[in-house]
Amino acid sequence: MRTIDDITRPLDYLPPAAQILSPIIRNWADNEVIPYRRQFDEDWEDHTLIHPPGKKLLGEYGIQKLLFPVDLGGMGFGESDYAFTSMFILGEEMARADSGLAVGLGVTLWPLMSIALKPHVNRRLLEEFAPLYCNTTEMISGALCMTEPQGGADIENVELLKGSTIQTTAVRDGDEWVINGHKLWPSNTGGMADLLVVVCTTNPGSRDPADVTLIFVPGDLPGVTQSGPYEKAGMACDKNGDVWLENVRVPLWYRAHGPGKDALFFLDIISIASGVTISFTSGMMMNVYERLLEFVNETKLHGRPLKENDAVAGVLADYTATLEVIRIVGYQAARMLDRSDLYGERWSPEMMAKMRSYRYFTMDRCLDVMGKVMNLMEAYGADRDRDIEKHWRDIKMNQLWLGGKQLCQIEAARWFFECETL
Amino acid sequence: MSDQDLFAYPRGRLHAADKDLAASLQAMVQKEVMDKRLELKEDYDGLLAPSLARLMAEVGLQKMFWPEKLGGEEHNEPEAAYTVAAALEQIGRADVGLAFLAAHSLALQAAVAAKGSCREELCAAVAPLFCEGNRPLIVSFVLPAMSQDGGAPEWRGKGIQVRAKSGPEGWTLSGKAVRPTCSGADAGLFGVLCAVDGEEPAFILVPGDSHGISREKEFLKTGLAASRNADLDFEGVKVPAANCAWRGEEGFLNLLSWFYLGLAAAGSGALLAVYEIIKEWGDNRVIKGRGQVFKENPLTAALMGEIAKEIAVDRLLAYNLADILSDPQAYGDDGPLAVFTSALMLVHHIYVSAEYTIHRTMELMASAGYAREWQLERYWRDLKTVQCYLGAYELAKHDFARRFYHTKTL
Ligand SMILES: Cc1cc2nc3c(=O)[nH]c(=O)nc-3n(C[C@H](O)[C@H](O)[C@H](O)COP(=O)(O)OP(=O)(O)OC[C@H]3O[C@@H](n4cnc5c(N)ncnc54)[C@H](O)[C@@H]3O)c2cc1C
Ligand SMILES: Cc1cc2nc3c(=O)[nH]c(=O)nc-3n(C[C@H](O)[C@H](O)[C@H](O)COP(=O)(O)OP(=O)(O)OC[C@H]3O[C@@H](n4cnc5c(N)ncnc54)[C@H](O)[C@@H]3O)c2cc1C
Repeated sequence: MRTIDDITRPLDYLPPAAQILSPIIRNWADNEVIPYRRQFDEDWEDHTLIHPPGKKLLGEYGIQKLLFPVDLGGMGFGESDYAFTSMFILGEEMARADSGLAVGLGVTLWPLMSIALKPHVNRRLLEEFAPLYCNTTEMISGALCMTEPQGGADIENVELLKGSTIQTTAVRDGDEWVINGHKLWPSNTGGMADLLVVVCTTNPGSRDPADVTLIFVPGDLPGVTQSGPYEKAGMACDKNGDVWLENVRVPLWYRAHGPGKDALFFLDIISIASGVTISFTSGMMMNVYERLLEFVNETKLHGRPLKENDAVAGVLADYTATLEVIRIVGYQAARMLDRSDLYGERWSPEMMAKMRSYRYFTMDRCLDVMGKVMNLMEAYGADRDRDIEKHWRDIKMNQLWLGGKQLCQIEAARWFFECETL
Repeated sequence: MSDQDLFAYPRGRLHAADKDLAASLQAMVQKEVMDKRLELKEDYDGLLAPSLARLMAEVGLQKMFWPEKLGGEEHNEPEAAYTVAAALEQIGRADVGLAFLAAHSLALQAAVAAKGSCREELCAAVAPLFCEGNRPLIVSFVLPAMSQDGGAPEWRGKGIQVRAKSGPEGWTLSGKAVRPTCSGADAGLFGVLCAVDGEEPAFILVPGDSHGISREKEFLKTGLAASRNADLDFEGVKVPAANCAWRGEEGFLNLLSWFYLGLAAAGSGALLAVYEIIKEWGDNRVIKGRGQVFKENPLTAALMGEIAKEIAVDRLLAYNLADILSDPQAYGDDGPLAVFTSALMLVHHIYVSAEYTIHRTMELMASAGYAREWQLERYWRDLKTVQCYLGAYELAKHDFARRFYHTKTL
């Protein structure tokens, strides 16, 4: 019988750690998540069932240490030539179990990328936060706070708007930043965030990228308030809420880098997230393939297994053709992020355009075939205990965050066609 | 002009009473369902069950077709198709699950109690369930389904879930792990397509409290919270001979055609609600800095335009199906198979379009589209669930091929 390991991935550039990483996460998924995930939707507020697998993977297995240098107790992936292909594997295996969980756990690492990845390592901040992430078996939750009530896409649309719409302010007062603002939706908030990276401006309305700041804010500081989580169509494992920052004070050196560089490395983490998001899509689709295989083998049409009907087979083939291509594209995106020597800086408009293109293209294709296989299963397609519908609800979010689909289109067109006013 | 009137439909074909009914339903569901759902969400006991009771029993949708002498309203001419469309559209706009349940009831009434085809014995046996007292009657169907039991008798390749035997005392039904179309946990009447050894299938009406029916626990599903569905076992369930509504395919195709009309109208209504949501978003959201209102951006306006186009076409299609059912002769009177094929094509077209349309809408609303608070995601889940229960589009295409290419072996 075929398995998900028959879905192709580019063997010629898998990271050396793949042989170790994949089975660990697969095992975790099979034992700690999949047996419980059908109850996760009702656990969206409390995370009674959702927290234990997160703690196991991030805290006990130590995945939250991944990006920190080895001498600070981490695993040194921030300096690796295979950081993103490794993260792709991680994302895929996690999302096979639950793409909401993959997001929540992955986002713990995400804000750190602004300071932990070569070539822009901020050693002092890594030293500052290494104990939080590395000296514990408890799960740590990190959050990247970009989106604001007036709109998230504009904040990410740095090339056009250059940070001019950011309303959250960072004002220098002696050797501290004083931060004020209101963020919406960051993953791992809703009461969870231990460490926030907040996208601010030092000069509201300014179109000078030097005014864009990325500032690290421990979640327990006075003036940081998180609302309870929002209720959503899916992604119960990712808590999102309001974050209010009222006269929050942090040392000046909690800024990720400095004028100009923060804006660039903000783009870097958006570009990375766009590429790595595809791992959630392909991982989720692999699990749907597993569950679909069972269904089309055991269910009968005209007295024969469903898969033996030529029309049904056409839909099934569309599904796996899409999965094959998405997986290859996703790994290619991750490899491009790893090899900036070949493909250019991750934060360049070119890489941004390409990562955004891959993300929205793969999501469109994924949702198209997901909708079709769900319908193919008739009434059972909507059953929670077939798992397909959960994945269908969860994965839609992959297309909506990070500025949504249209921003992806605009950034792609802007670069490929050299548009000047979009 | 109201927002709904922007979307053309053949209003001249509706009687004044249909328009009045639609207007009063519109006001009622706004107050009873839409205004309360932010707080009550998908609460069955607090929101959905009381609304269903009002619609079915108090407004009287469950009495619509039955003869007056049995307590019904005897609105049972083919033109009632327009009434069904107008009513279910308004209900679907508020809650697709409620419309889904009402579509079951109205389809069964149309198939059993339509003028000229109402069999007295049968109507006398079941009309009281619909017309007496003030309790809502939830109707559910047991239709052929893809099965795991390779040996089940089939209808167009799918397993007939229940077998029936006729004897001197009536029918005896049996079937295990039967999946109804809705409300397995609550239904008061099941319309069951049964296999009969060596004979044509029988469509049998089975009161929910019949001895021998056991209901499994309600299972979780994507949407349609108003339908608390559960699998059923039929163990030697006995019903009187009169409860067989018909034998063979014709009656069944007719039932399905009316059912699809209800679903088409429910889908059209839900899309009108989607329009209202995206319109509000498009009027108020500002993108590209402080300057550009959403609906004035060429890219998003194009998508909003496409969304409106899909909704407009779907509404016309839903009413066109009403027109076909109200006057099949005008469409060539090619018999129930032709009407059924048209109904199946139109309803699938609407649901494919609905899925496409809500996906696009959600993309334009980003996180707000995904948040429960904005209600859009509820229509997304509900309509997808209806589409699943409607059956696989891929297999429906075989029904289209049967009609248009005279295929014989599919
Ligand atoms: C599960 C989940 C996790 C999230 N995680 C995070 C997180 O970790 N951190 C965070 O900061 N936010 C997060 N978000 C928020 C998310 O990133 C934003 O919702 C998203 O970026 C879009 O912003 P918005 O919702 O404010 O919509 P808007 O910015 O108002 O955009 C809405 C729509 O407008 C259109 N649009 C925008 N710009 C343009 C343009 N230039 N041209 C044409 N059309 C355009 C697009 O269709 C877009 O979808 C998360 C949201 C969810 C639901
Ligand atoms: C520009 C051009 C260059 C060509 N070059 C070559 C060449 O170099 N050498 C050569 O030998 N031929 C060549 N061909 C022919 C081409 O490869 C054939 O047309 C093609 O393989 C299909 O064969 P057919 O036309 O006989 O159609 P058929 O074999 O009759 O197939 C017709 C259609 O039937 C359907 N079909 C077939 N089998 C199945 C199935 N199992 N299940 C479901 N549907 C099915 C498919 O939709 C298919 O498209 C060329 C054709 C063109 C137009």
